Formats: sequence, structure tokens, C-alpha cells
Amino acid sequence: MPYPLKNQPADLRESMYFPEIIRGFGDLARHFFKNLFFSRDRNPDVLARKRGGFGYSDNVTLQYPEERAPYPPGYRGLHRLVPREDGRPRCVACYMCATACPAQCIYIEAGEYADDPIEKYPVKFVIDEMRCIVCGFCVEACPKDAIRMDSGEHTPPSYERAAQIWDQKRLLRGPSVSYQYDPWLRRGSPSISPEKLEEMRARAKPFPSVATDEASQTPGFSVRALAQEARERAEAAKR
Amino acid sequence: MNRFVGMLLFFAGVVAGLIALSAGFYWVAGWLGWGFNALANAISGTPGVVSPGAISFGASVANIVTLLLVLVMTSGALLTTAERKWSAMMQNRIGANRIKVFGSALGGVPFLAADALKMLTKESVEPRGRTRLLYQLAPALAFAPVFALFAIVPVGMDLDPSQIPGLASRIASGVVQPIGLQIARLDAGLLYLFAISSLAVYGTSLAGWASNNKLALLGGVRASSQMISYEVSLGLSLVGSMIAYRSLQLNEIVVAQGQSVFGGIPAVGILLQPVGFLVFFASAFAETKRAPFDLPEGESEIVGYFIEYSGMKFGLMFLAEFVEVAVLSGILTAVFLGGWHPYLFEGWLQANLSPFWFAAVGAGAFIFKMTLMMWLQFTVRWLLPRFRFDQIQKLCWKILLPAALVNVFVTALVLLLDPSMQLLAVVGAVTIVAIAAITVAVGRAPAPEAGHGAAHVVAGH
Ligand code: SF4
Ligand code: SF4
Repeated sequence: MPYPLKNQPADLRESMYFPEIIRGFGDLARHFFKNLFFSRDRNPDVLARKRGGFGYSDNVTLQYPEERAPYPPGYRGLHRLVPREDGRPRCVACYMCATACPAQCIYIEAGEYADDPIEKYPVKFVIDEMRCIVCGFCVEACPKDAIRMDSGEHTPPSYERAAQIWDQKRLLRGPSVSYQYDPWLRRGSPSISPEKLEEMRARAKPFPSVATDEASQTPGFSVRALAQEARERAEAAKR
Repeated sequence: MNRFVGMLLFFAGVVAGLIALSAGFYWVAGWLGWGFNALANAISGTPGVVSPGAISFGASVANIVTLLLVLVMTSGALLTTAERKWSAMMQNRIGANRIKVFGSALGGVPFLAADALKMLTKESVEPRGRTRLLYQLAPALAFAPVFALFAIVPVGMDLDPSQIPGLASRIASGVVQPIGLQIARLDAGLLYLFAISSLAVYGTSLAGWASNNKLALLGGVRASSQMISYEVSLGLSLVGSMIAYRSLQLNEIVVAQGQSVFGGIPAVGILLQPVGFLVFFASAFAETKRAPFDLPEGESEIVGYFIEYSGMKFGLMFLAEFVEVAVLSGILTAVFLGGWHPYLFEGWLQANLSPFWFAAVGAGAFIFKMTLMMWLQFTVRWLLPRFRFDQIQKLCWKILLPAALVNVFVTALVLLLDPSMQLLAVVGAVTIVAIAAITVAVGRAPAPEAGHGAAHVVAGH
């Protein structure tokens, strides 16, 4: 926070050095003893941690791999291919995302289902996360809301480059999504049992007019959920 | 809260450990003395004779091992860890904790092993144009004088060897010279300190010269000009103490600090010589070449006089710095903090403990105060940014040196008026109060809150 410092010459007291040094020393010593005698708040929900009050150290550090600050909602994280309730990808292999991708890091091979009202599906859907510039254009381009970046995590590091090439097996995860206009719900599908179809139809939502709103609030797979999970893990560890 | 209780227990454990360690030092000194006595008897074929010379010699050898190799080396090595952890605590961080032994970071201490392993196994790369002999010699020259300084520091009080457990039946009391935890009882005392501490600059400037590197040479030149300047105020700051306690010998200075002025108040050095303490502290700090006086290193500008050193040669220079911190803390403790006087409950302890354990408590108190001084030096190191070179010289010649000179004259004058240190204690107390008052007084009003807002508007934020 900038504030104006007048460029005055040092007054007598300041030019004696020692008084100001002793004062600063007191400040540092206060922090030292506070952090020495009090421990950090180890609450796994890092956003709710207490700091600096009585009984807590002033420490701000997160022990990174073990403790993580959740990313804010709307954070463009690792891609995922959104699954349908029956486990198949929503993707129809239209190549829109691959075309929109400025880094040209999406590779798709299309195939056909024999038993499904949609004509195409991705036999191969590969994203090179190392080339990806995390622009989110693929998410915007997708007409089926089949690719999202709402996983709330960044691409995990790896020792080999090959591990950064994510294929459909690894990408297809997270909570499933259904919309009322989905062809497999409107027309039904031989691969989905009638009861299951009823259930899926009941759960389907209208297509959102503003896609990003919905994506940033995906329930069950969000930063809050991660924090909740961490809290539960800690509870379990305590027991 | 768990940590709070744990820390209290930890400190109690540390104090107990220090006392036990000091007891061990005395015990080793006594028994090694006895061992040398037995050896002398075996050689000269006179069993059963107690020869004071052999016992004193053995005790000195034991002191070299226990004080130099155990106490100073261990504290020097632990300080490398302390630097990380203490600075972390001052800056609201956690500090080094990634090496874990059975799931516990142990306060970062295992990093010692990692550091040592790294330094020892690193390839030693030497520049082509170096001056071979001086290049090899410089790390040793930087390290040895610092180490040798500790020889005159009295860690513990004198103890009759007959008081040491197990020796009472072998040595009659009063026959042999008392054993003190001090390696060399030189009459020249503080003069030895000045002589040896100025030798340390050779190591750094030779390292800078011999490695055939402009930056290293710059570092060496900076080191020599800085250390030679501060040598002057370092010497003068102790003259006041010499006058006050009428001795050059550190052990006598410590004994003299046990006197009391005005009844209960001890004649501790920091009370009689507050200005001397400040000046000595600052000059000693400059001698260690640590921030804010780290111009010879100046890693952001010239990297330093050891830029061409790698592996354990660098490690030695690095360690010399930390050992110097430990040694100067020892001297500060002896001259200004009353050395091995525990002060708290001293009379009660003396009356109720056996002389052996009282001596151990005293030596434990010394090590405790020494640790406190090391902590003080580290805090200042993390408090201040590096001075500019002209500021360093100004601080030395325009502030510290006049202050030290005035201190010498005032001390001498006051002692001339009142030889029983009482007036000196009053003057010292007044100085301390004055310094405290100047410190607490607010010099310049901090920028007011409204000022912040206005600045935002002006700056367009
Ligand atoms: S985020 Fe951007 S760069 Fe990455 S895959 Fe999607 S469109 Fe391509
Ligand atoms: S993810 Fe979306 S845009 Fe990409 S191919 Fe599949 S349906 Fe088309």
C-alpha cells in the first residue's frame, strides 16, 4: 500500500541508529516468541484458519503438498470430460474444441456407437496438458457441455512428459450432467434400461443460458467439496 | 496450547541438559587430570603421588576437547539450523522441515547432516589463475583465529578437583590448583582477544586475493577495510570494562561482576557499561561479517570473497562465521552479562548445593546466556538490511568510536571520583534509562490514516 514518504533528512533521534534498531528488535522478538510458543491453526479448511489471535501463531505458511488452499470458484483447472449418468462421455466428437484450441493440443478420433442415438463418440480424446495454455476456449466452444475445467485442481506434476498426455480414460471423471434436450434422453437408448432412463430424465436440467455460471457452481466437485473432504479425512484420522 | 506446554517443558529440559552438560565438562576435566597424573606416575615410577602439574595439564587438555570441540563446534553447527528456524519464526514462516526422522522434523536439526554430506561430497572446483598456496590456506586462516579466540573465555568457575565425584578419596582438598572451565588463563586476556580477532581478516582478504577473481578481490578489500575500522571501536569499547574491573583477565572480570553495588544489585557489566556493551556488540557484529555488515559477502552484488570456493573449503568459511557468532557471544557473556554467575537465587544455590553442582549450574548459566546472545545477534541480523559502505564507515568512525572514547573517559573519571563502582552503576543506570526513553519516544509521527486515503486518490488507485 503506497503512501507518501516525505524526503526529509533524518532527525537527530533517527541518525543515532540505536533507538530505532532497538524498537525494531522488539517487534521482531514479539513475532519470534509468539511463533515459538504457539502453534499454527491446523484446521484442514484453510480458509477458516485462525491466525494471530491469542493462542495462535502469526504463521501464514501452508505446508503445500499436505495442505492446499482451495482455488476460487471459476478457476480454470485440469480438464475433465463430463460423463453421462451411464458412464459414457457426453462428448459427440464434433471437433469444435480441437478447432478452437489455440495451442492445438486436443487430439480426437471419432467412432460410432452401434446402440446409441448419437452418431459419434470419441474413440480417442487426448489433451496434451503440457501444451495447453489453459485458456478455456475448448470449454466455451463445446456445444454439449462435454468438456469442463471445473476440477478445482491444477495439472499434477510428473516425472515424465508422457504422463502429461491425458487420454479419455483419465479425463472422463467427476459428477455427471444431463440436460433435457440430450438426444439419449429424448429418444431413449438401447444401452440404457428404461428405469434408469426415467431416473436420468427426472434429473435432467434445462440448458443454462450462461454456461460459465453453472460450471463454476458444479456441486460435489468444487473447492468447497475438497475442503469438506479434507475435513472428513482429518476427522477420520483423529478417530 | 499443547505447544505452549511442550515449549515450557522443552526449555526446562534444555536448562537441565545444560547443567548436566557442564557437570560432564567438570567431570571430564577432573578425571582426565587424574588420568594424566596416573600416567606421570607410571612413567616416573612413583605410584600414589599427586602431582598438581599433571592434573592441571590433563584438565586443560580436557577443556580443549570439551569446550572447543564439543561446545563451540556444536553451537556453531547448530547455529546453521538455528539461522533457518529462528529467522522463520521471526518472519512468520515455518522454516526447514522437509527432512523427517520417523515422521518428525526435529526442529530442522537433521539438516545438519544433509548440509555436511553435501559440502563434503561436492566436487572441489578451483580457478585456473589462483595463487595455489594462499588459496588453500585461506579457509584455514579464516577459521583458526576465530576458533582460537574461545581459549580465553571462562565458561565455568574454579572448582577444587577434590569436589568432583569419585576424586574426593584420591585427591585431598586444597592440594592441587582448582580446575576452571577455561582453556588458557592468560594474564594478557583481552589483549589476546584483540590480537587474534584481527588475524581473522587475513583469511578473508587472502581468499579474495588468491582466487583471481575481481568480485572476490572486491569482497576481500571490503572485508579488510571494514574489519580494520571496527577493530578500533572493538578495542576501545572494552577499555571501560578493563578500567572498571581493574583486570585484563576474563576470569577476574567475571569474578568482579559478582560484587554487589547498593546491596542486592550485582555489578554486572551491562549495568556499569551499557555504552560499552552497545558499541562492542555492534563492532563484534561487524567482525562476524554478517548482515547488516555483510558487505564482504553482499550476495546480491559481488557474491563475496569466497565466490571461487566450493565444497568443504566454502563450508569452512561458512562455519567460521557461525563459530565466530558463538565465540563473540561467549565474550559478550563473560564481559557484560556476568559470565558464569547464575544471579538468580545465587546465594541460595551456593548455600544448598555441593560445590560441584553449584559450579555446574554456573557453567549452565553461562551457556544459557551465551545462547541468548547468539539469538540476539541473529535477531539483529534478520532485522536490518545491508548498510551502504559509506554508512558502515560513518557508523564506525562517527558514532561508535566517539561513543567508545567518551565512555572510556567517563568511566575513568567516575571511578576516580568513587572507586567503589557505585557511582558508575548510577551513571550506567541513568544511561540505560536515557536509552530506553529515547527508544520509547516517538520521533516522527507515522503517516496518518487520512494520509493513506489521500495518497490513494492522488495516485489514482
Ligand atoms: S484450455 Fe485452451 S489451450 Fe487448453 S485445451 Fe482448451 S482450448 Fe486448448
Ligand atoms: S468435447 Fe465438446 S467440443 Fe470437443 S469434440 Fe466433444 S462435444 Fe465437441
